Amino acid sequence: MVSIPDPDPAPALSMRGLVKRFGATVAVAGLDLDIPAGSFYGVVGPNGAGKTTTLSMATGLLVPDEGSVLVHGVDVWGRPRGAAASLLGVLPDGLRLFDRLTGAELISYAGMLRGMDREVVAERRDDLLQALDLVGAGSTLVADYSAGMTKKVALACALVHAPRLLVLDEPFEAVDPVSAGAIRGILQRFVEAGGTVVLSSHVMALVERLCDHVAVVAGGRVLAAGTVDEVRGGQDLEERFVGLLGGGLEHAELTWLRPSSG
Amino acid sequence: MVATLLRLRLRLLLHTLRREGWRIVLLVVGLLWALASSPSVLGGMVWLSRQPVEVVHDVLVLVGTVLVLGWAVVPLLVPGLDDSLDIGRFATFGLRARRLVPGLLVAALLGVPTLVTFLGSAAPALAWLGPGRELGVLPAVLALALAPVAGLTCVLASRLSTGLAARVLGSRRSREISAVGGVLVAGFAVPVVVGVAALGLEGALERVPAVAAVLGWTPLGAVWAAPAALADGEVLGALGRVVVAVGTVVLAARAWAVLLDRALVSPPARGGQSRRRRDVVLGREGLGLPAVARPALAVTRRALRYWTADPRYLSALLGSVAAPLIIVVLAGTVIDAPAAVALSIAPLMGGTIGWGRHNDVAFDGTALWMHVVAGVPGWADRAGRTLATLAWSVPVVVGVAVVGSMVAGRVDLLPASLGAGLGVLCGGLAVSAVASGALIYPVPAAGANPYAAQMGAVGASLVAQLVTSVATLALCVPVLVAFGAAMWWEPAMAWVTLGVGVLGGALVLGAGVAQGGRVYDARSVRLLARLSR
Repeated sequence: MVSIPDPDPAPALSMRGLVKRFGATVAVAGLDLDIPAGSFYGVVGPNGAGKTTTLSMATGLLVPDEGSVLVHGVDVWGRPRGAAASLLGVLPDGLRLFDRLTGAELISYAGMLRGMDREVVAERRDDLLQALDLVGAGSTLVADYSAGMTKKVALACALVHAPRLLVLDEPFEAVDPVSAGAIRGILQRFVEAGGTVVLSSHVMALVERLCDHVAVVAGGRVLAAGTVDEVRGGQDLEERFVGLLGGGLEHAELTWLRPSSG
Repeated sequence: MVATLLRLRLRLLLHTLRREGWRIVLLVVGLLWALASSPSVLGGMVWLSRQPVEVVHDVLVLVGTVLVLGWAVVPLLVPGLDDSLDIGRFATFGLRARRLVPGLLVAALLGVPTLVTFLGSAAPALAWLGPGRELGVLPAVLALALAPVAGLTCVLASRLSTGLAARVLGSRRSREISAVGGVLVAGFAVPVVVGVAALGLEGALERVPAVAAVLGWTPLGAVWAAPAALADGEVLGALGRVVVAVGTVVLAARAWAVLLDRALVSPPARGGQSRRRRDVVLGREGLGLPAVARPALAVTRRALRYWTADPRYLSALLGSVAAPLIIVVLAGTVIDAPAAVALSIAPLMGGTIGWGRHNDVAFDGTALWMHVVAGVPGWADRAGRTLATLAWSVPVVVGVAVVGSMVAGRVDLLPASLGAGLGVLCGGLAVSAVASGALIYPVPAAGANPYAAQMGAVGASLVAQLVTSVATLALCVPVLVAFGAAMWWEPAMAWVTLGVGVLGGALVLGAGVAQGGRVYDARSVRLLARLSR
């Protein structure tokens, strides 16, 4: 998954005025965000902030009500559809996989769907199984995988065609620490080689350690965006995050919650 | 527990009725249909009450057996009828299935088919009130008392058949098991067709008393035969049949409880792990295809794997193959034209298989995102799915056409049966290629019970099924006209039928894939959004 370093100063991903409504709920309310090429970008926000909705619209999985998305200058929602497909590697959250295939077959499927050559797919499939510690599980059905293994094989599917931009929704959820370390290594080398990574998370420590840029999203808008240092402004990222969201919640105490014998 | 489950079922029913206006329409239509058919049932019973005991026995046992068998078989052929409470939802409460069974059975009464069956099971009491019955009103009283037993037999037959089938299809060895099942179905249906064809209708009817006498002692017929024995004055015979009937219900309820207990602790989705070294998606070779054709090849190989490994596809496969056979067996006993019936199996089966794919995309569920994100062109998606279905259905339809024409003794009409079968198959697949990109409705998720009824969008599924049926029929008019002409007018038309079926079918299918591809391209993201709901 080596990519030629990108000399293009244009952003890898550019979102302008994105709006998405579900009935009366406004999930994304006019969101603007530029992800510089070659950056390792974290998108953080509380539950229901619109992270998944935003990333789905950015990757061609959900039609925006308004706004535009450019991936390396290619319009994701323009005609013909799918022009940006080869530039993009996507790991969505909460969507199924073709789980009656084995892990190895699923990776091959992702490659073949993109019209890749059979020999290249076979080689990359084996490399990915190796790198993500799935060699033993490669011959079992994805239906029998644990949540973490499913995440890893989906990540492999996002990587197989060596995209220029990776958009990953909660890539570390349910993944064990050893595998998480391996995934971090893969993503860091990808960025060093000139690729761009966008990931969403609500684990601040992880974003702080891994990413060079961060955007704080809440209520379907960007509250702050820039390099990690700019956003946290001398503070801990978590403190800054809580500050941006308007302080801690009033926690109602559950006075009755203590181990009972009955 | 019974009251709790009954309240739960009632509440669920009310909530779905409130959310879906279509369900009320269905409910009302179902009730009206039941009311409208009750005079004919009652009239039949009044007519029977004037017949000798033997005739009444034979008629009731045969009709009753068909009713019980229907309850067992129809939910397998038409997935989505099993609306019982999903046992998996009770898994966390630590209950034994035996405590749930009575409540689940009573809750099953809150449905039009069950209610009608229970009430209808009481109707035979009328037939036993006529002259010439021994022991006065006792046979009628027994028939009335056995009505709930008959109703329970029906409900339990359907629960056991879908439960067992879901279990079998969900296991990782399902391919082998379903192959055996397919052979058994064919092995059962073919001799019946051949037998009826050989005996002729009158000959078959002569065997009815002997068959009914045996059925009257089996779990299928005992409940209907017991009052007959009493009307003959055979108290012991009646008692014996009552024991068989009640024992059937008790044993079936126990068997169902065992099945439910299994479902409580090990949902079907988690079968034993199976290992597969060979990568069927990549295949042994790439067939030297250019890059533009590779996505279609991938979709074909993936779909073929699903045809053999996914319980929902396996049940669709079994249903689309078995339903025409059963229709033909039933039609063969009623219509006195065995040759025409046997020759029609191929087009019927081509129709059920081809039309049956009209909701194919819904079976992917949200996994469709892989196609969307990879930018798979619509024609490739459509062509891949269609080729996978053709790969197994063409040999099946050809085989059925050959066997059908041999059974009919009209090998000269083989080209007609073949042409009609392949033509209707292609027509159905063409409609499906367009419809599955436009009109989709919910199906059980991967790994869920393939026979479970789906909440939501009854209206959408009715519209989709109606539109696709009409479109398939309309497309197939030319080949069906040629087929009819070959059978009843000019046998030489058989070759014309073959030409129209194969060439016209290929043309229509190609157009369907192209048009379906355009529809899919315009709507794939919206399809995904609908599947996410």
